Amino acid sequence: MLFLLAPRKYAIKNRLHRLKPGDGVKTAFLGLLGLGFWAFMFGISFRVLTYFRTIEGLGDLLAIRLLSMILVVFFSVLVFSNIVTALSTFYLSGELEILHATPIHGEDIYRSKFVETLVDSSWMVLIYGLPVFIAYGVVFKAAAGYYVGLALTVVPFLIIPAGIGIIVTMLLVNAFPARRAKDILVLLGLLFFMAMYILLRLLQPEKLVDPDTFPTLVQYLTAMRGPVSPLLPSFWAAKSLSPLLRGNGGDALFYLLMLWSTALALIVIGEWVCMKIYYRGWSRSQEGRKAPLSRSRAADLFFTLVSSPFRGRLRAIVLKDVKIFFRNTSQWSQLFLLVALIVVYLYSFKLLPLERAAMPSFFLQNLISFLNLGMVGFVVSAVAVRFVFPAVSLEGESFWIIRSSPLSLKQFLWAKFLSSLLPLVILAGILIVISNIFLRVTPFMMTLSVMTVIMMTFGITALGVGLGSVFPRFRYENVAQIPTGFGGIIYMLIAMLFIGTVIILEAWPVYRIFTAQTFGRHIPDSGWVAIVMSFALVVVINLLAVLLPMHVGLRRLREPDS
Amino acid sequence: MIKLTNLTKIYGKLTAVNHINLDVGSGEIFGFLGPNGAGKTTTIRMIAGLLQPTEGTAVIGEYDIQREAIQAKAITGFIPDRPYIYDKLTATEFMHFTASLYDLTDAKNRIIGLLELFGLVDWMDELVENYSHGMKQRLVMASALLHEPRVLVVDEPMVGLDPRGARLVKDIFKDLASKGVTVFMSTHTLEIVEQMCSRVAIINQGNIIAQGSVQDLGRMARMQDSHLEPIFLRLTGGDEVLDS
Ligand SMILES: Nc1ncnc2c1ncn2[C@@H]1O[C@H](COP(=O)(O)OP(=O)(O)O)[C@@H](O)[C@H]1O
Ligand SMILES: [Mg+2]
Repeated sequence: MLFLLAPRKYAIKNRLHRLKPGDGVKTAFLGLLGLGFWAFMFGISFRVLTYFRTIEGLGDLLAIRLLSMILVVFFSVLVFSNIVTALSTFYLSGELEILHATPIHGEDIYRSKFVETLVDSSWMVLIYGLPVFIAYGVVFKAAAGYYVGLALTVVPFLIIPAGIGIIVTMLLVNAFPARRAKDILVLLGLLFFMAMYILLRLLQPEKLVDPDTFPTLVQYLTAMRGPVSPLLPSFWAAKSLSPLLRGNGGDALFYLLMLWSTALALIVIGEWVCMKIYYRGWSRSQEGRKAPLSRSRAADLFFTLVSSPFRGRLRAIVLKDVKIFFRNTSQWSQLFLLVALIVVYLYSFKLLPLERAAMPSFFLQNLISFLNLGMVGFVVSAVAVRFVFPAVSLEGESFWIIRSSPLSLKQFLWAKFLSSLLPLVILAGILIVISNIFLRVTPFMMTLSVMTVIMMTFGITALGVGLGSVFPRFRYENVAQIPTGFGGIIYMLIAMLFIGTVIILEAWPVYRIFTAQTFGRHIPDSGWVAIVMSFALVVVINLLAVLLPMHVGLRRLREPDS
Repeated sequence: MIKLTNLTKIYGKLTAVNHINLDVGSGEIFGFLGPNGAGKTTTIRMIAGLLQPTEGTAVIGEYDIQREAIQAKAITGFIPDRPYIYDKLTATEFMHFTASLYDLTDAKNRIIGLLELFGLVDWMDELVENYSHGMKQRLVMASALLHEPRVLVVDEPMVGLDPRGARLVKDIFKDLASKGVTVFMSTHTLEIVEQMCSRVAIINQGNIIAQGSVQDLGRMARMQDSHLEPIFLRLTGGDEVLDS
């Protein structure tokens, strides 16, 4: 059955054999980035776990508790990403047309697609997770047995969600055609985040930072038996790893057997389900064709409204983009996930026990509100990398229409900028205002941060449009491939750098003014000059962040071979 | 070799293919003629086993495409109108992969032979993503012939080919037919049918409205007030056929 994976093998080989100049740099860069990320994950886990170990009596318990929380989160993420992946590997991929037209047994398709789904949806979690698990081993000074046990646990721990995801997908597609099933995914996504949210609420992690509850932490921990059901595979994984960490075998073997038997059973059950219903579902998945929001009055009205601030050709482009965006369910369904994430983010702020903290609260609050400024910037760029960065690439194979029309590329690019700007500014504004209210910041900080975020959104948008044209990908099978490519990573890095610089340039003068006020110190004239310069620099950087990327992007698009 | 019985496909409310009955013999080049949206692609995808019929059966050789799918597909070559090919593979790799799909061992010489036949040898180690539309089309045809199918099902083979490519395909199909291979080919141009096919069926809005030999059809078309007249106008893009 593995011969069905040959195209992937060839593709990897070809990529390695046909390196273009610059690919080496690219790879080295990505490699470094990956390494840095690993080191970072390892470092954080190491710090946290070492800190836990210093807490007398409770530390180990806390660490194990954290381990099972991490495993629950991984497990739910894995199930969800397997469902999404299975939908495209089993139903939407163009390759399936070849496989179904040739005399291949259903079992072979199932097994190769199983492997594909497993690999595609697990590698990220594996990369995020491994440094954490290794940090556990190092901090607990675990014996080699732990690492062997880790390997033996991870494999079935990844197979189980793949099996579940694939079976759920097949059942879903059999109930709704695959293209419709994408809408179902939206629902699933919402459910998933609700589940995560409830989990978070049940665990109440903010209690850990609340000094008032520390004396009762024992009670808290014992009461926190919480949502970890012994029926969840993540529970088995935790139970097989924790005794190994402490150096006693315990029930590790029993739980390992649970994991493996479930994994193997799911593979077999999945194959059985596949043989029964897969072909029918695949055939049906090619049917439903009608685009959502294509023939309704309300939709027309909405589209007209959204594009009304624009005129002439600009308007035509904006109207087309908005229509395509809302008809492409896989695009906007991600918005739901995003909204859910943001709500969780904001709500956790509301719960921060700021008034009981030990530090002077104006200091803490302003510190947090600058951090929040950074977070909001990060969220906006994360949204932008998903929706603005691909804007030019999305023109795809139909870019020739724009190129051959009397619309200049400059107008085209600015149209992209303007149509992305407004939604992003609204998003950023809402985020910063609400989070600032929850944080109860001073009116001064409120004004400063709202102005800053809105100004930065211009830069974040322009960076997205500009870099999106520097790294365009006009051929893709799935929109989601664009933001996760090389260009997307570069975009995120530059955006982070931009946001970080702006925040530092603002934070130090503010800090200086506040400390001067609190301790009744006087700021000399030279100090004021530096402060004004710093703010002026912020404005300059923001201007550059808009003009420079747009300029570079335009130049790249004008190159004849692009 | 191909027998369609009451073959029907309904998409929601639209009946794309309506109780079609056809019988195509060995060694025939059968033309499946109809204007855009007539239901040709839908029919062909059902014959190839890519789409489940709402009703009716398609039998290839002695095998029902739904019930004995593996055996039926093993003797069929399918060439879709908009084929998917792996961008990051070379022509040779694609051919080797196809060979393994049909469980062919030692297909090396045959692969080279086919690539030569379709004029792709100079490009065989290039990535497919750099191919033109016509080259991709030829590569897919080469791969569909790899396992020496007894039945060839082709959707609009001439679209996107240059005159030389079209000539080549014509010759190859005729040659295959003379060796007993059945070719089932859809097209929306009458000219192609006249040049290549022995028999033809005309489909319009999901219904077969006429079938017979190409000569029969010419005769019918020349009759004034025949129910074929408006369709012929659309198929030929003018009234040349009626005038001739
Ligand atoms: N996947 C599909 N879902 C819904 N309707 C379809 C689908 N494919 C084709 N149709 C409709 O079925 C009819 C026949 O289409 P098709 O078989 O592609 O025609 P042809 O190949 O003859 O041009 C058309 O009206 C088309 O709109
Ligand atoms: Mg067609």
